[in-house]
Amino acid sequence: MRRGVGAGAIAKKKLAEAKYKERGTVLAEDQIAQMSKQLETFKTHLEEFASKHKQEIRKSSQFRVQFQEMCATIGVDPLASGKGFWSEMLGVGDFYYELGVQIIEVCLALKHRNGGLITLDELHHRVLKGRGKYAQDVSQDDLVRAIKKLKAMGNGFGMIPVGGSYLVQSVPAELNMDHTVVLQLAEKKGYVTISEIKDSLNWERERASHVVDHLLKEGLAWLDSQAEGEPQYWLPALFSEIASRDVTPEEANQMTP
Amino acid sequence: MSFEWPWQYNFPPFFTLQPNVDTRQKQLAAWCSLALSYCRHRKLYTLDVLEAQESPLFNNKKIERKLSVEAIQVIFEELRKKGNLEWSDKSKSRCLIMWRSPEEWGKLIYQWVSKNGMVNSVFTLYELANGDDTESEEFHGLEEGMLLRSLQALQTDGKAEIITMDDGKGVKFF
Repeated sequence: MRRGVGAGAIAKKKLAEAKYKERGTVLAEDQIAQMSKQLETFKTHLEEFASKHKQEIRKSSQFRVQFQEMCATIGVDPLASGKGFWSEMLGVGDFYYELGVQIIEVCLALKHRNGGLITLDELHHRVLKGRGKYAQDVSQDDLVRAIKKLKAMGNGFGMIPVGGSYLVQSVPAELNMDHTVVLQLAEKKGYVTISEIKDSLNWERERASHVVDHLLKEGLAWLDSQAEGEPQYWLPALFSEIASRDVTPEEANQMTP
Repeated sequence: MSFEWPWQYNFPPFFTLQPNVDTRQKQLAAWCSLALSYCRHRKLYTLDVLEAQESPLFNNKKIERKLSVEAIQVIFEELRKKGNLEWSDKSKSRCLIMWRSPEEWGKLIYQWVSKNGMVNSVFTLYELANGDDTESEEFHGLEEGMLLRSLQALQTDGKAEIITMDDGKGVKFF
C-alpha cells in the first residue's frame, strides 16, 4: 500500500497537529500553574525576609551596603522609584528620602558661608549631629546614595571628587571641568594661587584667571590680597575650622531667604 | 570671660575687602556684628580709627592679617548707616560706638532705680556711672556722653529730669 498524499493523509496530519497543539497548551498551562506556585512561595519568603530585616536596614549602615550590593547583583535598584516593591516592603526608600531631606536642610543652612559647596566629611558630621544621640547610624555611603537620588530628581545636586573624597555641590552653579580641576587643586591647602594653577595644570595665565574669577563670582571663593607673594583664593567649603562651628543667630539673619 | 571669635576671624580673606558684591555684603555684615560684640565685651564706647587698626579686633596677629584703614572706614560707614555709630569729629578720626542705643541704656538705668526703690531720689552722674552701688550693673562705667543721652531719653519719656548742680550734672527719677 502506498503512503499517499491523499485527503486522508492530510486530515490525519491535521489531527496530529491539533493534538500536539493541545498538548502544548496543556504543557503551558502546567508550567504556568507551577510558576504561580513558585511565585507564591517566593513572595512569602520575601515578606519574611522583609519583616525580619526591616529593622536592620534602618539601623545598620553596613547591612544597607550589603543589601544594596546584593540588589545590584540581581539587577534590582531599590531606590529606582519611590513606590517600588522593595522600597515599600522594606522601607528602604523612606530611609533615603528622609536622609535626602536632611541633606538639603544642612546645605541650605550653610550656603551663605560656603556658596553651596561642602565637603562630604563636614556634611556627614552635621547630619549625624542633627540626628542626635538616639539616631540611626548613617554612613558616608548612605549620603552618597541619597545625593545621587537627589541629583537624579533634578535638585541641582552634584558631587565633585577631590582628594579621595567628595565635595558636594548643592547649588546649580555652573561648574565645568576647568572649575572642578581647580577645586581639586585647592583641596590640599584650602586655597589656590594663579601660579599654582599655571604650574600644576600647565595653563595660560588667562585660563587660570578666568576660573578664579568664576569661583569668586559664584561666592565659592574669597580673595586674600595680604598673602605673601601673590593673592590667594580661599574656599570657605574647604576651611577646616568651619566644620565644627555652628551657625550663629547673627549668621542666620544674614542668610538670604 | 574670654571673647569667642567667629570662624571668619581666622579666615585670611576676611581681612581683604571682597571684590564680589554679594560676598562683600556678607563680609560687611559679619564685620559689623563682630565689631559690636567685641566692643560690648570690652565695654568700649569710643573708637579711634588709627588705634583700632592695631587692636585685636581688626588685626589678627596669629594669621598675620589686618584690615586696611580704607576697609575700616567702610565698616564704620556701615555701622553708621545702621545707627550703631556716630562720628565725634569732622575728620572722622574718632567715633562713638553704640552697641546699645541711648534708649536701651535709659531703660536699664531706670529698671535699677525702681527695683531699688530709689524713685524720687537725686543722683549725680558720677554716682550713677561710677558709684559703689552700681558696680555690678551693666551701665557701670558708662561713658559720660552716652550716660547723658540715655538720661535725656528718659527725660523725654517723663521718667527723669536732668538738673544742673554746682559741680556738675545730676538727675532725678520719677
